[in-house]
Amino acid sequence: MQTTNTSVLARRIWIDSDYATIAYEAGWANEAVFFTQTEGDHPELTVSTEISPDGINWVRRGEPRTIAAEDSITENSLTVFGNWIRLRIQGASQDQQARVLVHVCLSG
Amino acid sequence: MQKYPASDRQLERFNPLARIFTFDDFDTGFNGWMDLTPNFVYADYESFNSAVDLTSWAPCMLSSGGMRFAASHGSMDGAYSLKLTTHPNAAPATEPPADGSMGVAVKRLSRFGSPSLIQIETWYSYTPTQDRVGLGEEDIRAFGFYFDIQDTEHRYMPGVRYVNSLDGKLVKRWQYWKARDGVTHADWNFGVEDGWCAPGIDNLWYGKRYPDGSTDGYQWLPGGEQDLLYNESPDKINWLYLRLLVDVDKREYVELQSMDTTFDMRGIQPTLTDRYNSIDNLINPIFYVETDTDRSVNFFLDSVLYSTE
Repeated sequence: MQTTNTSVLARRIWIDSDYATIAYEAGWANEAVFFTQTEGDHPELTVSTEISPDGINWVRRGEPRTIAAEDSITENSLTVFGNWIRLRIQGASQDQQARVLVHVCLSG
Repeated sequence: MQKYPASDRQLERFNPLARIFTFDDFDTGFNGWMDLTPNFVYADYESFNSAVDLTSWAPCMLSSGGMRFAASHGSMDGAYSLKLTTHPNAAPATEPPADGSMGVAVKRLSRFGSPSLIQIETWYSYTPTQDRVGLGEEDIRAFGFYFDIQDTEHRYMPGVRYVNSLDGKLVKRWQYWKARDGVTHADWNFGVEDGWCAPGIDNLWYGKRYPDGSTDGYQWLPGGEQDLLYNESPDKINWLYLRLLVDVDKREYVELQSMDTTFDMRGIQPTLTDRYNSIDNLINPIFYVETDTDRSVNFFLDSVLYSTE
């Protein structure tokens, strides 16, 4: 039987600029699915995944997603990612903030 | 204390009480250890009013001990440990904990077998993320452990905290959990009159903190100075032993063992508070780590053994 775990990387936080979740170690898993949800009004957000050799230096991997202003959820999936993963959310500003909730579901 | 006949060679490095209740080796998963969060039971799924953002702590994870320049450390026995970490954000040591400045992992258990003694043991390590030049030891404020216990009369929290550094100055002394006598409910909750936690509950973030490192929630352990093994670089970690024994009949501490040093704590009681609703027989073991500056710091648990007698 596989092991699976869901962690909350951002718990209903308000963002007002480019934002990245904490460096997360997922080397035990074979697949990662990030779910990004918004609460309330928000600008259009671009959501992308990044991987890292050390949890400090990052490189883009995977296809970015968009949460349009009228939508409230998206997913980003990775299957080859090494050990360190994180999610980047762009589009929020001082004038147009967003409240976000980010889960990562791992299994392997 | 009677030695348990070990059927698993990993148990040879522990000294459990008569009944091994849970033994968690994180090579097999999270084993029920999870991030500690408040109660999302009010309108819009919000939590109780708090001066400290209890929703903000960084998530724990299964770590292979990946480093910037060193190879993966793995764990003491296997590939993975449970890593508690923090966001790179800290307040001065005399202020309430900043958003995300801690990592907290809990396992939710209950009283069984009418124990008189309960004990936690762990092999652990700690280091900051190597995101800047230097030794880094002074950037780890503290790590700790406590039991959240409720019986038919009281809720109480016996625990210990290793104060490693305060505002960049190494301290390296043990504290134990006990609220200062006379502290008011509002003072405990940093001015929130209707704060959820009574004095003596959740000492890890409530209770005023003072410039000498004392707080309204922690007392210095007599003779508690200890120079723990940190190593010489953030990418080198060594595995250390910790054991806390509590008498739940007398509701008092028995002893803390850190490496080969044992501190006698008989006669010291944690703060006894009134019962909370719907949590009789609760026994939750909880670990935590605190950063001292704008830097993520990490606390690795190779394995955790909870035993009773």
